[in-house]
Amino acid sequence: MAVLLAWPVLSFAQALVSVEYQLKAVFLFNFTRFVEWPPEAFTSDQEPFVIGVLGGNPFGSYLEDVGGNEKVNGHRLVIRYFNNYSEIKSCHILYINKTVMNETRDFLSSMNGKPVLTVSDASDFMKRGGIIRFYINKDKKVQLEMNLDAAKAAKLQISSKLIRLTEIYVPK
Amino acid sequence: MADNLTPTQGSNRNRNVENNFRSERTWRTVFPYNPFIIFLFLALVPAILEAQVEDTLLLPAERLKKLSLEDLMNIEVVSVSMRAEKLSEVASAIQVITDNDIAHSAATRLPELLKLTPNIQMAQANSHDWAITARGFNGLPSAGGIVANKLLVMIDGRSVYSPLFGGVFWDVQNVMLEDVDKIEVVSGPGGTLWGANAVNGVINVVTKSSRETQGLYVSGASGNLLNDMAAVRIGARSRVDTNLYYRIYAQHFDQNSTLFQSGASARDAWDMVQGGFRMDYYPSKANILTLQGDFYGGDENKDSLLTRQITNGQNVLGRFTHVFSDKSDLKIQAYYDRTYRLQPTAVAPFLYSLNTYDLDIQHRFSLGERNSILYGGGYRLEEDNTNRSLTPLSREMPVYNVFIQDEIALFAQKLKMTVGSKFLNNVFTGFEFQPCVRLAWTPGKSQTLWASVSRAVRTPSRFDSDILTSDVKFQSEKVMAYELGYHLSPVKQLTLSFAAFFNHYNQLRSIDQTTSTTTPFIFTNDQRAESWGFEFSGNYQVMEQWRLRGGYTYFDRNIWAVTPAVLPISVAFESMDPKNTWMIQSMLDVTRSLTFDLVGRYVDPVPGAQYSIPDVPAYYTCDARLAWHRKGIEISLVGQNLLQESHIETGRSTIPRAFYAKITCKF
Repeated sequence: MAVLLAWPVLSFAQALVSVEYQLKAVFLFNFTRFVEWPPEAFTSDQEPFVIGVLGGNPFGSYLEDVGGNEKVNGHRLVIRYFNNYSEIKSCHILYINKTVMNETRDFLSSMNGKPVLTVSDASDFMKRGGIIRFYINKDKKVQLEMNLDAAKAAKLQISSKLIRLTEIYVPK
Repeated sequence: MADNLTPTQGSNRNRNVENNFRSERTWRTVFPYNPFIIFLFLALVPAILEAQVEDTLLLPAERLKKLSLEDLMNIEVVSVSMRAEKLSEVASAIQVITDNDIAHSAATRLPELLKLTPNIQMAQANSHDWAITARGFNGLPSAGGIVANKLLVMIDGRSVYSPLFGGVFWDVQNVMLEDVDKIEVVSGPGGTLWGANAVNGVINVVTKSSRETQGLYVSGASGNLLNDMAAVRIGARSRVDTNLYYRIYAQHFDQNSTLFQSGASARDAWDMVQGGFRMDYYPSKANILTLQGDFYGGDENKDSLLTRQITNGQNVLGRFTHVFSDKSDLKIQAYYDRTYRLQPTAVAPFLYSLNTYDLDIQHRFSLGERNSILYGGGYRLEEDNTNRSLTPLSREMPVYNVFIQDEIALFAQKLKMTVGSKFLNNVFTGFEFQPCVRLAWTPGKSQTLWASVSRAVRTPSRFDSDILTSDVKFQSEKVMAYELGYHLSPVKQLTLSFAAFFNHYNQLRSIDQTTSTTTPFIFTNDQRAESWGFEFSGNYQVMEQWRLRGGYTYFDRNIWAVTPAVLPISVAFESMDPKNTWMIQSMLDVTRSLTFDLVGRYVDPVPGAQYSIPDVPAYYTCDARLAWHRKGIEISLVGQNLLQESHIETGRSTIPRAFYAKITCKF
């Protein structure tokens, strides 16, 4: 009874992970296999491969479940959570939550070719300079849209196996 | 075994974690703003389309990681409980009340919610009793509208259908409305999956898992008919094992009496205390363990000496689910339920107590490419005890059942045929057989045409069999039901469902005259009936802030006697049902913090019967609710039955115009 009175209320972020975000977490992990980072992405062999989540965390603990003990080209895979852009030191895949879209355009243009694969669900992510966008199509399946030019500017080599499954973004 | 057999429907909510505070989780987040061009006020329609993006732990990370990119992009992001089927593809007449609909209604108690599905006929008999049925056969309003025996009702898989009279004691079914996830209302026989007594329909009340009801919730309300209502719930997560979630709740009601038409008090005031708990444990991605229980105690007709009634009950239920894949799962459930009812100061005091022990197992799996097989079995033991009127005073009523159903995909997913049957053995009539065939044709993504033929059975209750005893054994009632239906969603914001049915009832209960002097009449099965009707329901998101749902039902029947010994009152005893009913619910976000909800209902007149049973005239009702919410607090003002000072729905009590104010806080 005393435990109940302490109200250990957890935010829903930990309590619920929908199928949609489980799938997206697996996609983020899969990107490590279909994208090549340039050598300057790592300062040393011991440096970990970082998947970062910026803004609220919709994945619960699922990213750790998926990527926990994995390695990417010999670098151990770690998941980091950031509240705002200034906290990001090194990161190889960055998932940007819709909630922090405001500063995104400035951030992305300040990247200056840093090799970070930027991913988001936000509907205008491509316009802001992002590389991969998740969207749900009318069959209720998770699909990908990709900006090849942004990927090239980030010096990332995307495997053709991934490219042919994504919708290519054409800037207007 | 409830919450998974009928497909989960969409509650217009994206359970996306960004929208993590429930009071802000409205349908607004799912539907984009739409300038409204056409104002549809006639066709009001419920069924909800988008299956919700529901949380599941059914996709273990290890398995998902092995899928190819193509496979990942081919997974439907829909609810994957027992059936990953959209509501619109279901081959039956199902309507659903979502938690959103519940929040926007004026209801304070579970039975009041059932006016929100047009395929249910609901009539309030007095301050604490309701006559609720689907597809007719709300019978004579004796002793509080209890003669409605063709509907199976379950709460989280626990049957609340009473073997005493074959119906539901609605006065003690008080689920905490805030924690109800949805109420699935299936009209039409559900004998194959649900068992005996699901002759005309099944109501399945599903509460949220404790994982979804975290935090503190407090509410209080008071009004003129509702004297007070208070509820509190605490949901938390174990620190010792973070896979364990739980909640406990308590609620108290106190409601005043209704009045007879003469103005005299019906002396049916009552109060009730109820509490309970639920624990959900997710030890791995594929397993769920649930344990839940409730207890209640109530005092009804407090200001009457003769009809005063004490009720109490306790129940505990455990359920284990193991998911093998999105096409295969196993569920094991067991529960114990005890109910007790006593009229201490009546002329002849009456006591009835019932203990129910139940065990059910259910397994679903795929056979080859085209077959999805669901089978299972169960054992239930009901033992009751009374002090008079029934012979024997105590009965042990075991029921054994097995069932199997195969869903066959023909013609590449466009045509699905479901064939199945339940076999059960009961203590009154022995072996019973309830087969069913359904066909569903989905020519396009947003429409489904379906048809079904089923047989269902109502096994005798103690009332049928043990009150007026004779040499003639009471048989089970049988129904053959033929149904046709059509679901469509012509535009994203609109869903419509139509269903037509024809039922033939055999061995329907009758009250027969006898030549005996000791028992001048008996209950037996000398009536037959045919009923037919049409159900229409829909849901329309008029614009982002405004949703409409509602429907219309037509019902008619013909009941006739098989022998001249049948007393004419037998017809009204089985069925006093209105022909036309319709209902419409409007939910409008006036501003970001202010909501205005309306529920309008019309019920056709019901002609009276012999022995001066009066006609019940037609009536319109309207409930209105104005709610202001901000952060975790909501204050609402509610008016019920606003159109008339009072009216009769069934029985002798008038239902008055009522108001209450309610405040809820969520932390």
